[in-house]
Amino acid sequence: MITELVLATLFGLLLLGIHRKVIARIQRRPGPPVWQEILHAAKFSFKTSWVPATASGALFTGIVLVAIGIWTAAFFVLMTGGSLLVIFGIYMLHKIVEHGFGLSSGSPYGKYGGVRSVISAASEIPLFVGVAVIAFYTHSLDISAIIAYQEARGPLLLTAFPAATAMFLVLLSKMPFGPFSIVEAKELVSGYKTEHFGIWRAGLEVCNGLKTFVLLGTFLAVFIGPLTLPAIIVGMIVLIVLLAFSCALTPMLSPFDSVTIQTMVTGLVLVYAVIVLTVVRP
Amino acid sequence: MSGRLKRNAGKLVAAGVIACGTAFALHGYGWIPLWVFAAVVVLAFPPAVLALFLWWMADVGEEDIPFIGY
Repeated sequence: MITELVLATLFGLLLLGIHRKVIARIQRRPGPPVWQEILHAAKFSFKTSWVPATASGALFTGIVLVAIGIWTAAFFVLMTGGSLLVIFGIYMLHKIVEHGFGLSSGSPYGKYGGVRSVISAASEIPLFVGVAVIAFYTHSLDISAIIAYQEARGPLLLTAFPAATAMFLVLLSKMPFGPFSIVEAKELVSGYKTEHFGIWRAGLEVCNGLKTFVLLGTFLAVFIGPLTLPAIIVGMIVLIVLLAFSCALTPMLSPFDSVTIQTMVTGLVLVYAVIVLTVVRP
Repeated sequence: MSGRLKRNAGKLVAAGVIACGTAFALHGYGWIPLWVFAAVVVLAFPPAVLALFLWWMADVGEEDIPFIGY
């Protein structure tokens, strides 16, 4: 499991590299090589590091440990077929981590990024509704039980397509360069991670790789079902390419518009959940 | 970065690897449940990663280590 943890981190970083490459090619740029994010993590880990004078030392360094720790826990939950609620609880904890990153630095850019991570919590509401719909169908929120359900009755991607769309939106909100990536918008330099450099940024890159792997793996487990390892790898690459298309073809929204659109999607998915509850599976 | 920092970071990496390895072996033999194994890795993996970065970044001399990975 430890080897898998390290490989998942590297593969997650590779997926983020593919994401950047696809966006670049859509925008007619050559783009960086697909292993750029792995090189980024390595590069930052070699840089001289210190804690800025304006930062809260304990929080500035401790939040990096928390970031890696929570996604390590999520990785274990995914690999052992544990509860979907735990993974989504960790997804919400990541919001606190982003907030902690921003506020600990003392930089105004970081602080604005941290504040935006709080207002972008609207992206999590479709998640709740999507989870509720999955529970209606499968009568369980254990990933192993959800996979078993799909093995018997087919992928939930087909039977609960709107819930899968809501989950896709959740993934999109966590992707860099996406329409909802308001926490790291260019007007904030790098947002909540502006002041985290050197080994602290390398630690954040490790967290991002692991997070990407876990979120895409969760999507495949919950909406596709049982897959072999090669199929999981192909599925994750297909997902990241779809996300890259979405990111490349949509402008980054203003914070207000981002929250408005996510709230509207929540309303639509809520209507769908009511239909499922009352009509499809009364 | 001082040589002392490099030594301490090296010790932390070793401690993290030993903790994860021991938990892995104990879980493999069935002596500890999965959640204990997972808890040990969740606690030991992040500091081991950061300590590893600190260990190979910290130099006993004055100069930084240039990155030539490209």
